[in-house]
Amino acid sequence: MQMPKADQMILDRRHMIVAGLKRIVPAHCVLDDDSSMKAYDTDGLSAYRQMPLVVVLPETTAQVAAVLKWCRDEGVKIVPRGAGTSLSGGAIPLADGVLLGLGKFNQIIDIDYENRCVVTQPGVTNLGITHAVQDEGFYYAPDPSSQIACSIGGNIAENSGGVHCLKYGLTTNNVLGIEIVTMDGDILRLGGKHLDAGALDLLGLMTGSEGLLGVVTEVTVRILRKPATQRAMLVGFDTAQEAGQAVSNVIAAGIIPAGMEMMDAPAINAAEDFVGAGYPRDAAALLIVELDGPEVEVNFLLERVGDIVKSSGATSVRLSHSEEERNQFWAGRKSAFPAVGRISPDYLCMDGTIPRKALPEMLTRMAMMSQKYGLRVANVFHAGDGNLHPLILFDANQPGELERAEEFGNDILRNCVQLGGVLTGEHGVGIEKRDLMPEMFSDEDLRQQQRVKCAFDPNHLLNPGKVFPVLHRCAELGRMHVHKGEVPHPDLPRF
Amino acid sequence: MSNFAPSTITELKEALQTALAENTTLSVQATATKSGLGAPVSCDATLDLSGLQGIISYEPEELIITAHAATPLASIETALSEKHQMLAFEPPHISTLYNTSHDGTIGGLLATNLSGSRRVSAGAARDYLLGFDAVSGRGEIFRSGSKVMKNVTGYDLSKLMCGSFGTLAVMDEVTIKVLPAPETSQTLIIGCATLEQAGKAARHALQTAYEPSAVAILPKGSHPLSQSMVCTLIRLEGVAVSVADRQSHLSEILGSYGMTDIMDSAPSQALWQSLSDGAPVADKGNQIWRVSCAPTAGPALLQNIQSHCECAAYFDWAGGLLWLATDDKEAHRHIRQALHALGGGHATLMRADEELRRTIPVFEPQDPALAALNKRVQNSFDPHGILNPGRL
Repeated sequence: MQMPKADQMILDRRHMIVAGLKRIVPAHCVLDDDSSMKAYDTDGLSAYRQMPLVVVLPETTAQVAAVLKWCRDEGVKIVPRGAGTSLSGGAIPLADGVLLGLGKFNQIIDIDYENRCVVTQPGVTNLGITHAVQDEGFYYAPDPSSQIACSIGGNIAENSGGVHCLKYGLTTNNVLGIEIVTMDGDILRLGGKHLDAGALDLLGLMTGSEGLLGVVTEVTVRILRKPATQRAMLVGFDTAQEAGQAVSNVIAAGIIPAGMEMMDAPAINAAEDFVGAGYPRDAAALLIVELDGPEVEVNFLLERVGDIVKSSGATSVRLSHSEEERNQFWAGRKSAFPAVGRISPDYLCMDGTIPRKALPEMLTRMAMMSQKYGLRVANVFHAGDGNLHPLILFDANQPGELERAEEFGNDILRNCVQLGGVLTGEHGVGIEKRDLMPEMFSDEDLRQQQRVKCAFDPNHLLNPGKVFPVLHRCAELGRMHVHKGEVPHPDLPRF
Repeated sequence: MSNFAPSTITELKEALQTALAENTTLSVQATATKSGLGAPVSCDATLDLSGLQGIISYEPEELIITAHAATPLASIETALSEKHQMLAFEPPHISTLYNTSHDGTIGGLLATNLSGSRRVSAGAARDYLLGFDAVSGRGEIFRSGSKVMKNVTGYDLSKLMCGSFGTLAVMDEVTIKVLPAPETSQTLIIGCATLEQAGKAARHALQTAYEPSAVAILPKGSHPLSQSMVCTLIRLEGVAVSVADRQSHLSEILGSYGMTDIMDSAPSQALWQSLSDGAPVADKGNQIWRVSCAPTAGPALLQNIQSHCECAAYFDWAGGLLWLATDDKEAHRHIRQALHALGGGHATLMRADEELRRTIPVFEPQDPALAALNKRVQNSFDPHGILNPGRL
């Protein structure tokens, strides 16, 4: 993966830039020695490392605004960073860029039960929000697997998902408002405790923009009352096709479970070896179906789901009868990544989405690719919404295996797009999938996205090198070829 | 000046390129049922999209429907109801408000981001547009999003299109997430002594685990149901056994706010459609406003406005959406001052004569830096301002 070539003029001006930043923020907020900066040299995509030019850890929104404006005036790039858990390399530093860490923005500002929202600084963790409101019986719904560590500001940047998206949506469906600082140093409020925008939905645009449009300094999220009951069902199938059909049949019957997770045989066995969750080792596919809500409803619908999966060919069905049992059902799924880590020195976690009906075809293709690349793959799958997480097993100590694993991963994502799906369901593009963007988008699709970027940051100073494979200059993107007075389509039917 | 009536996306592109070449501004419309919403525009020509209609694919078990943008909303709703599914954001049927013969198209609905009573539990129109293809004001075809439910690849331009009032690009194909329709519903009616009490009951209902799908407040005298009391209406939807169970729990919990009554499925459905449509105030004044605020601010907001001008009103979204009808030409000042004083939000003039819509801001005025950013984003799609100029 190539990053944009570092600007030598900026590297040469490093002392002056560090000194300049220390005039804007207190000196203790600037880290410029290698040992302190080392902690910031990668994120969740840890195969890639890069020391930043300098690290700035501001303490106030005014400081963020001052740093951004100063960097804009000086032509210095910025990489914003929350907790640094991005799996796509969204927070990987640039050698010639300031790493702007929001870790000190770690306070919850307002808990408002009556309006069912929490106003928080962006450095608070996803789970930290739930912890702040759980004593009153509330929680924050989106639950990315890194929720113990990932920050809510990073969740906004990545539009993070989780296992309960089918029913509760992604981050974008659970955010009411944000405060952002633009590259110009303007502090803008989008949304708030009220619903919807009275103008262009810039809140929706910012969510999932991967730190390329602005820096989030405050967040207002919706909180929900914790469901009265949660119960899970563990269902084994002889084929992935039957399991996929069972998922479709449940949804076609009008039931939207809180979560529907699928695992294939390699993932089932790795998980079973690791935690002994009681999964059926002889199953080719395993479904975990979780329902939540009022107790009578959950019990009533689970009976329906039980009938549906049985008539779809289930070979084993188990229902959780206690919270302990439910957690046990989930234990294997939740430890799938470390479980795979145990049977292989390294693994790559991919993140494509396909139309659910394409699952059998995708699994067939994946088996063929596994043969072609000579690498094993285990699959966990957010089956309800078609989000696939193939884990490619490899050994980085074997020369060429990382590259082969990456090529395998790219092939999987290309196949996702060919089958009508997308490159990323929840991990983001970052640097990981940047060069695959033309698989899914035309030149003009990408140019229009970059024109939007230009409306926020015309000099490409905010997180450059991420998301877009080619950086077009904004002046070039804005150019239009209009022949004045010359009608390009004289044969067009008109009236 | 010639008008355009494309029937394919290629013709749409050619139309926009011609308009660009001829410096022609375009009024983007299909049924023009929402021409009364937004600032009035006077354009050189009409871009009539009614040729871009029809459902392209509908896969109930994938929870996805793809249609051309000018497909009538009614056609979409009929197709979905045949499979016991729905547009979960509960689109308003705007013929009530604008006295049109038609409820408009799916594209017009998305472009105005209108959502009804279920907004408070299920999200807005903008939460359900998964992807689209369109021709930008630059005359170029582009697409964004996808036909799958979970996607974070590239910027989420679907969000921008929703509520852009046709000022960025002209959509052709739209892909929308749909959900199963509830098997049954009931409405719990609580008669309260005061608006404050009714607001508390409404917010209390949403704080329970009993999952109301919609919560409205009818001030005293505003509706046949609320002739002698302020009424809080709480809708429960789902399978019958669950609706009955939740209703009995909520009746018990909320009984302390006032007398409770139950409305069954059929009248309940008609009631909530009328609340989504703005029907209770549709004939109570020439101006209709829709004001979005924090739910706790709602009751005080209305009292503040009523102390300055005469109006009829009710609340949806547990107090977070105020529907208001008035004939007072100065109402916009009172509404926006009160909103500002009570924590902010946005007030939209949903219906008024052209002259008034020309003289006062239809949408909430923005601070200069935000307005400038909005303008730059708009320019990034339509640099020459040929699409519905000035409507937003």
